Amino acid sequence: MKKIYKFIMLALLAITVFATSGFTTSIKADQKDVTYDRIMKRGYIVLGTSPDYAPYEFQTTSNNKSKDVGMDISVAKDIADDLGVKLKIKNMDFDSLLVALQTGKVDMVLSGMNPSAARRKSVDFSDVYYKGGQSILINKKDAGIYKNKDSFKHKKIAAQTGSIQYNLAKKQIDGAKVSGIQKGADLILALQTNKVEGVVMEKPTAEAYAANNSGIKVIQGGFTLNDDETSTAVAMPKNSPVLRKKINTTISKIKAKNLLPQYLKEAGTYLKGNTVNTSMIHYWKYFAMGVGYTILISILGVIFGFITGTLLALLRLSDNKVLRGLSAAYVEFVRGTPLMVQLMFVYFGLGLFVNLPALTAGIIAVSLNSGAYVAEVIRGGINSVDDGQREAAESLGLNKRDRMRFVIMPQALKNIWPALGNEFISLIKESSIVSIIGVTDLIYQLKIVQSDTYRGVAPIVVAMILYFVMTFSLSRLLKFYERKFNNG
Amino acid sequence: MAKEIIKIENLTKKYGKNTILKDISAEVKDGDIISVIGPSGAGKSTFLRCLTLLEKPTAGVVSLEGEDLTKKTQKEIEHVREKVGMVFQNFNLFPNMTVLKNITLAPIRVKGLSEAKANQQALSLLDQVGLSDKAEAYPDNLSGGQRQRVAIARALAMKPDVMLFDEPTSALDPEMVGEVLDVMRQLAKSGMTMVVVTHEMGFAQSVSNQIWFMENAGIQEKSTPEEFFSNPKTDRAKEFLSKILVK
Repeated sequence: MKKIYKFIMLALLAITVFATSGFTTSIKADQKDVTYDRIMKRGYIVLGTSPDYAPYEFQTTSNNKSKDVGMDISVAKDIADDLGVKLKIKNMDFDSLLVALQTGKVDMVLSGMNPSAARRKSVDFSDVYYKGGQSILINKKDAGIYKNKDSFKHKKIAAQTGSIQYNLAKKQIDGAKVSGIQKGADLILALQTNKVEGVVMEKPTAEAYAANNSGIKVIQGGFTLNDDETSTAVAMPKNSPVLRKKINTTISKIKAKNLLPQYLKEAGTYLKGNTVNTSMIHYWKYFAMGVGYTILISILGVIFGFITGTLLALLRLSDNKVLRGLSAAYVEFVRGTPLMVQLMFVYFGLGLFVNLPALTAGIIAVSLNSGAYVAEVIRGGINSVDDGQREAAESLGLNKRDRMRFVIMPQALKNIWPALGNEFISLIKESSIVSIIGVTDLIYQLKIVQSDTYRGVAPIVVAMILYFVMTFSLSRLLKFYERKFNNG
Repeated sequence: MAKEIIKIENLTKKYGKNTILKDISAEVKDGDIISVIGPSGAGKSTFLRCLTLLEKPTAGVVSLEGEDLTKKTQKEIEHVREKVGMVFQNFNLFPNMTVLKNITLAPIRVKGLSEAKANQQALSLLDQVGLSDKAEAYPDNLSGGQRQRVAIARALAMKPDVMLFDEPTSALDPEMVGEVLDVMRQLAKSGMTMVVVTHEMGFAQSVSNQIWFMENAGIQEKSTPEEFFSNPKTDRAKEFLSKILVK
């Protein structure tokens, strides 16, 4: 009992150290602008953005390479130029952007972000560089019913999760059912498929979507807005006085030269290019790349998951009580928490100590998660081997390692092969979660193609078929080896 | 006087409150062929398994060639087990390996024999038990009698000083008992020290030099086969024999 108590204390201590380390960085920042120093030292600035919000930021293809474009990207380029450093862009979900700032994954965020009071508590904002209004998108056929926000009382309406628009709809439309949806393309899809009656969106974005989708129309929002809710500013880590000053200089320069209308117009030309050929075949490279990453993550996830799982299973069966307990606790904890949370913990949480690239973080999270499940399967397999086998091996003088390696494990593996196969197949599917931190796997590419083509369903069908082809091939492969096992 | 191989002093084994073995003392000398007989539930198998520490004695001492096994660590016991061959009722061959691999695994891994040498030795052992044509077969494709003969060859491959047999013919169809007993007879003739838990009275009578009669958690009687079968000392042994003979 005492040992277990000690362990809990150690674990708590580790968590405390971990949690407070976030604060220590901000204390240091009081004295100096660590973000600025970091940028200058590295020679590049990392921009975090969620490229699904045309014309602010979205992805386009040129020479078969996708790149981020849009007004915010142009502004970010100006900022980098004025700092005399290169610009690097990290794409991720809008929801993850602020965490990425706080954990140092990115140096600044331009993503059509409104500097609300709530956000100001956790990050710093530059001066406002753009002011738009809030509009509502509706289906054209409903143009007679909906005039402005007041027409939506007790109706279904949607907005991007975690956005200002979401809060506006909640607060200013009486009794409206507000759905939060992650991606711009999905919002449009929800509208087109009549899941919702309207979508609250920033004016320029709404207009871009309406221009490219003949069935939808922009109406005035009619919201009561304060400055926070109409304006867009650059977000950066708290206590970045130097960086903030530099960015503000760039912004006033842009304002003085009145560059924004020009940037918006440029973004518009990309948008037009995107609607020319929206067949899925035209986007095969996107899907191919997505499949590539999904396979990469799955294969490495299976390998490291299997290694982790085997180790955990062996610990679980060891004579040492503490190791047994640790392994059991790990398995229970990982099985008891969602993979998505684990993924964010690895990427953002561990990110405080080591700067893991999103892909690495994704592979680690998927492997550690899979390891817990594999451990249980292997433990069951080892227990399923007749005890007489262990006794025979023991009586021949084989040591514990050789007993496991030559006698128990090969038999256990044969018994658990189907269950293990199931685990690997679900790993392929579950790996799709890595798209939330910006790993360009199949799901991520699906979203990009959706927002690129403004077609909602077709990319989903393609992704579905591709996932099935992958899982079905694996299941055939596993069957082949199962037959081999049984014949041997 | 022959060298002492196994010495058992005041051996007791309990599972919770159940006493399986109570205060047993006995000796196995070099060249002894001991048949352990008695009714089911007398503790014969547990007794045999205590000799190689597959079961840990609750109290008492088991020594092998003068070394007290009960004081040894798990690691040291692994070494001791090389010297004690064990044959199980259910064969316990490794189904994931060929017959040849079953036999060569321990000599290669434990004794460090080269594969060529281990193979050569295994083939000669297979010849000895009459199965030289089965080297590449898997255990699942063998009959019960063949499996048990392979199991004996596997134990012999470690060149043990003593062989323990735990009801080696009990799981066999009647027509296969003979081939296994033949191999054991041959082994006995070659001078191997053997402790055999068995229900085969004919084998006990004709091959062994000592009968240990077990009942009620202890060895009730130790005598020569002639004595035991013609003139048992204890009432319990008489009762047991009368039951067997009626069958």
